[in-house]
Amino acid sequence: MATEDKKPKKKFSRRKFLQRGAIIFGGTVVAVIASKGPIRRFLAQKAENMDFPLLVSTQEPSFWFEVLPDNTILYKSTKLEMGQGIFTGLAMLAAEELEVSLEQIKVVHANTANGVEDSLGTGGSNTTLSLFKPIREVAATLREMLKAQAAKQWGVPVAGIKVENGIMTSGNHKATYYEISTSTKEWKTPETPALKPFSAFKYVGKDVKRIDLKPKVTGQPIFGIDQTFPDMLYAVMLQSPYIGGTLKKLNTQEAAKVSGVVKIVEDNELVAVVAKNRYAAEMGLQKIEAEWDVPKKWQQAEFEALTTVGLGTDVRIQSEGSPESLLEKTPDKVFKQEYRTPLATHAHMEPHGAVAHVEKDKATMYVGTQASTLFRSAIAKAIEVETEQLNIETTYAGGSFGRRIDSKHSEKVARIAKIVGKPVHVFNTRTQEFQNAIYRPQTHHVLAAKIGENGKIEAITHNQATPDQVLGAIPANIGYTLLGADFVSAGHGASILYNIEHKSATLWQNKLPVHTGIWRSVGMFPNTFAIESFINELAHKTGKDPLKMRLELLAGNEQINQRYKKVLETLAEKSGWNQPKAAGIGRGIAIGNDRKSIAAAVIEVAIVDNQIRVKKVTQVLDAGLAINPEGIRMQVEGATMMGITAALYEGLTVKDGQITATNFHEYPMAKLSDTPEIEVIILEGHTEPYGVGEPPLAPVAPAIAAAVFDLTGKNLRTLPLKLS
Amino acid sequence: MEINFNINGKTAKVDVDPAMPLLWVVRDELNLKATKFGCGAALCGACTLHIDGEAYRSCSIPVSFAAEKKVTTLEGLSESEDKLHPIQQAWMEENVPQCGYCQPGFMMAAVNFLEKNPNPTEEDIKTNITNICRCGTQPRIIKAIKRAAQLSQTATL
Repeated sequence: MATEDKKPKKKFSRRKFLQRGAIIFGGTVVAVIASKGPIRRFLAQKAENMDFPLLVSTQEPSFWFEVLPDNTILYKSTKLEMGQGIFTGLAMLAAEELEVSLEQIKVVHANTANGVEDSLGTGGSNTTLSLFKPIREVAATLREMLKAQAAKQWGVPVAGIKVENGIMTSGNHKATYYEISTSTKEWKTPETPALKPFSAFKYVGKDVKRIDLKPKVTGQPIFGIDQTFPDMLYAVMLQSPYIGGTLKKLNTQEAAKVSGVVKIVEDNELVAVVAKNRYAAEMGLQKIEAEWDVPKKWQQAEFEALTTVGLGTDVRIQSEGSPESLLEKTPDKVFKQEYRTPLATHAHMEPHGAVAHVEKDKATMYVGTQASTLFRSAIAKAIEVETEQLNIETTYAGGSFGRRIDSKHSEKVARIAKIVGKPVHVFNTRTQEFQNAIYRPQTHHVLAAKIGENGKIEAITHNQATPDQVLGAIPANIGYTLLGADFVSAGHGASILYNIEHKSATLWQNKLPVHTGIWRSVGMFPNTFAIESFINELAHKTGKDPLKMRLELLAGNEQINQRYKKVLETLAEKSGWNQPKAAGIGRGIAIGNDRKSIAAAVIEVAIVDNQIRVKKVTQVLDAGLAINPEGIRMQVEGATMMGITAALYEGLTVKDGQITATNFHEYPMAKLSDTPEIEVIILEGHTEPYGVGEPPLAPVAPAIAAAVFDLTGKNLRTLPLKLS
Repeated sequence: MEINFNINGKTAKVDVDPAMPLLWVVRDELNLKATKFGCGAALCGACTLHIDGEAYRSCSIPVSFAAEKKVTTLEGLSESEDKLHPIQQAWMEENVPQCGYCQPGFMMAAVNFLEKNPNPTEEDIKTNITNICRCGTQPRIIKAIKRAAQLSQTATL
């Protein structure tokens, strides 16, 4: 893949404030656009909505523009393209202010060697929202710098210069961006120019196909697993098949004899078979005789019991009125239910791994990572080199969903490369992907409500037990000591938005003996399942239509209530909520919000051969300003299919100290045969984009559960939903 | 052991363990990276390629099986970058991929399926293509296979 090795000739001076982007001509950085700009404001405002609020301290530009000889603009992105389509949306935004066609923008992943840093990483559905303004401001600055130079060379006023497709004209004068960029030695960085009004956008708001479509349709080697070095070796790591297992006894004699095996790496806990090819490495791994010390052979029931409301540290994250005392006083009017979601994993299609080459005074790693800056410092430490000596070449990722934010696996790959002294390609087997993963935590929810006169919900409490999704990733346990429980990720969506006078939400956190972490839509997934299922049950209990009941509970003039209402009213109309259902069809609804977006779904199901079959999904998404509606539709469709998997199939179990799933036959996922009719409606009417990747996943499971109840009268309160 | 076969119209000669899965031979000995490793157990279909015109999940096929046969990978499907195979054209038209990792396997499975069922119903597509995609491109894959069927029929008229 194309890599950029050009280093800036001058190192950036350290700034006290955040820098947004850099502009480079002919290999020399000429402008670093800096201010206490939108990213920082955004971070300050949105700290409660982020997954890594404590890790943001970047002092380097987070993206670069380069003017290339063919008059195209190279955009180096620190944000990972893992399928979510951000390269396309960012290119559209840049094209608006650069006055070039979309085809003239090339987007590549930035490596870490050239000073492009991004401590925030890619995630939290934040990419488009956080860069929406900065990328246009830097693009506009670049355009104005080029125009100013052209004006100077031509002796004409800047205001008279027109730009189209990267070509500047004024009277008889004409020059490309590139021509001006190479004929200029001294640059001036102007004040940030005014941005185009939205009404002048050429691309934003229009359906645009992905800019990485062709390489993906022709199978170009763009993924981490596709990367090679000359004389590269292949390795597979030995990893414990037991939860908490540590190596007790190791015999690698037979493994070393396997044809093609060149070395067995043994470095403390790290054991790997290194071979001339992947097959020999796998054969070697099979010949390793290992005995494991297993502190406890966990069984499912006791493992599940670790996550129970009432156990561990509790943090109250919402408290209005006095719901608990109201519930206590009138036990006969209390309706209470419990919900559970299981342990799961990301199961992205490209297994976890990296390609590394550690030389005497420099090291290079190809890896699809959501956090190249964090990876760089952690990996450099693991192989004892200076951070500046390590270059992370981020590659496209074959899915991620939150998994590629943890550097531990890559640290081991780098250690193997260092020990072997040759480039090495190390990727997990699929069994390791299940048994040595980072897991979506299991959750337990207890919801209780006081039902008053005329079915009025007077009080509601939500207790969520969840292991953390992010605290373990925050250095030195700051997370635990400062926050107590993980409301920044695992607790997303735990609060009750509905207008109920007395309400509270409490998180109970108890660690699991496995590494738990971020999974697409974080806490919004289990919390929307629990809360929306409970609201559906309350509607039934009080004899109300579930959609009308929600509208009643949204009385109020707050903007969020108004947006909720519009989403629900649109959904009612588009899904035919008030129309009669076909025979054998059940219909359910759910709504949730996170990342400033609101997502709601009406889902129709049938039961075929005692199996729940999803027939039709209508999703309405209010994600603010839609940069690329086509890209948003793809994300909603994808989130819907992932939501169907999560609702009907997905979950890990534990037996005799092991995660029982070893491959996809024990971790079934939605296939073509599970595909329903999907209609996506995108609401418009805002001035900034909100998060898209995660929110539409959350309403799927509770809407399916409600549809099953509608059809069968059975309330299913545990995921995955099973009829019997 | 030396094994000869045809890969995308060219002769390939490899000297490897005959039990080595064809997937690794294609990817790492022949440097054709479109065929992907997903599960190693013929469950996900990311490694689907053609041997003598039949679709196989190459992670579970020893290279010896391909000896003296004709192997086609996604790289060998189209004449050139500018003249894509109808399945790739359809994938472009429907804007199918997200992460893109599983798509070569899906396209190779779909080509073989359409050769046997040139005019499939949606139900045929859903029951016959059993590859796995985690990003959730299934709705677009179904549309693209229908579109490819149309494109192929127009091409043969």
